[in-house]
Amino acid sequence: MGRYNYYKPLSLDDALALHDKIPGALFIAGGTDVMVKIVNGDIEPSALISLRSIPELSGIKENGSTRIGSMTTISELIEHPKLHKRYPVLIEAARRHSGPQIRNVATIGGNLCNCSPCADTATPLLVLDAKVRLRSIEGSREIPIEEFFKGPGETCLSSSEILTDILLDPPQREARAVFMKKGRVHMDLATASVAVLLEMEKNTCRRARLAAGSVAPVPLRLSQVEELLEGNIISSELLDRAREISSETVSPITDIRATEEYRRRIVGIYVRRGIERLLKK
Amino acid sequence: MRINISFMLNGSEVVVEVEGHHRLIDVLRDQLGLTGTKEGCGKGECGACSVLVDGRAVNACLYPALEAEGRSVTTIEGLRGPNNELSTVQQAFVDQGAIQCGFCTPGMIMSAKALLDSNPDPTEEEIRSALLGNLCRCTGYVQIVEAVRQAAVQLRDKP
Ligand SMILES: Cc1cc2nc3c(=O)[nH]c(=O)nc-3n(C[C@H](O)[C@H](O)[C@H](O)COP(=O)(O)OP(=O)(O)OC[C@H]3O[C@@H](n4cnc5c(N)ncnc54)[C@H](O)[C@@H]3O)c2cc1C
Ligand code: FES
Ligand code: FES
Repeated sequence: MGRYNYYKPLSLDDALALHDKIPGALFIAGGTDVMVKIVNGDIEPSALISLRSIPELSGIKENGSTRIGSMTTISELIEHPKLHKRYPVLIEAARRHSGPQIRNVATIGGNLCNCSPCADTATPLLVLDAKVRLRSIEGSREIPIEEFFKGPGETCLSSSEILTDILLDPPQREARAVFMKKGRVHMDLATASVAVLLEMEKNTCRRARLAAGSVAPVPLRLSQVEELLEGNIISSELLDRAREISSETVSPITDIRATEEYRRRIVGIYVRRGIERLLKK
Repeated sequence: MRINISFMLNGSEVVVEVEGHHRLIDVLRDQLGLTGTKEGCGKGECGACSVLVDGRAVNACLYPALEAEGRSVTTIEGLRGPNNELSTVQQAFVDQGAIQCGFCTPGMIMSAKALLDSNPDPTEEEIRSALLGNLCRCTGYVQIVEAVRQAAVQLRDKP
């Protein structure tokens, strides 16, 4: 295993300045992806710059809308007294993230910045229309989370930027959402996952948001399904169509965890099941 | 880059010189000689390396040593009593036959301790969830769950 220096800056400015100064340096949050990649020999950073001692990045603040610091751990999300009532879909997903030891250190920011298509917190944040705030030496910018994900292992985050916050609008009263994840055992990374959010007015769907994980190079919004549902009464035929479109529009791969065909099927089934579940609620 | 860090280890302060790339498990096993904490996969999958940091179970194989600075670390060695007697959770594992080869045991016990410290009366489901990050290739888990249940009852009955 390689050798590297380890820095623990106490402020965002110091972290950004250090990163600017040291070629080959990488930010580390909880390290549950970074440390594994180092062991596997996938990356050889010259230095790790820890974000753990930077107070600006921790904590959850609520005043109408919600701001989640990027260093919030998955356990902290689950244990927060209000989040599970305000954004149940995010907490359902957090509960399906790994096991206790990983959840106690893994962060929501690391989950997103690792740019894996199977990041469990990504699909709920997509259906909640979350925004992320990024900070670089030049300043900070705010973008919709959908624009954050670009390609496999790629986000719109440049290597010298830090994700500082995840921003959520106040929950919509009529909105209901579910998260579903297929893994071989509970702790697994998702073979496929789906988040569905619906706002209904009687039998008509006023707003739909759907996202799928592990079935494309990035966590994916299923916008064609959203268009299909919005403004319509959700009939059994429409459900079948939603399932078909979902299976067709994703672009999964075959890997050690599942085949392409299986992933297409699961996504279709989960989309249908998710909508049905919400209609029953 | 060598740096001195200090942290509480099993209730006493320790000072060790570590390098940036050292993990907590390297410091515990190689520098401090506490070999109760095991390294199985080295990748966060098996939980053999579980220790408590500020009361929470973490994988020492993924935990950068420098992050232990100023924190409180508990390992399996920290559970025994003043006369080397086993703690309630450890004894329960012995009583229930929850140990075969024993490689997973220290990690299992640390996860069980983290659970019982925060939830003295767990359901079977809660016990199994707390042990999700700990793999055992020998026992089949049934006796391990029984051991945690026994420990929970005994700890609740303790004055
Ligand atoms: C055994 C095991 C099981 C797992 N199970 C799951 C699972 O069920 N679901 C799941 O989604 N994931 C799972 N993971 C993957 C991993 O735990 C998560 O992706 C985790 O949330 C990553 O967070 P972290 O803080 O550990 O990130 P780190 O490893 O610290 O960082 C990940 C990447 O993001 C960058 N980064 C981190 N924070 C920031 C920031 N604020 N700004 C800019 N860049 C940043 C780092 O440079 C690095 O490239 C698992 C991992 C293991 C080892
Ligand atoms: S050795 Fe740490 S989890 Fe396997
Ligand atoms: S007793 Fe052998 S691995 Fe658990």
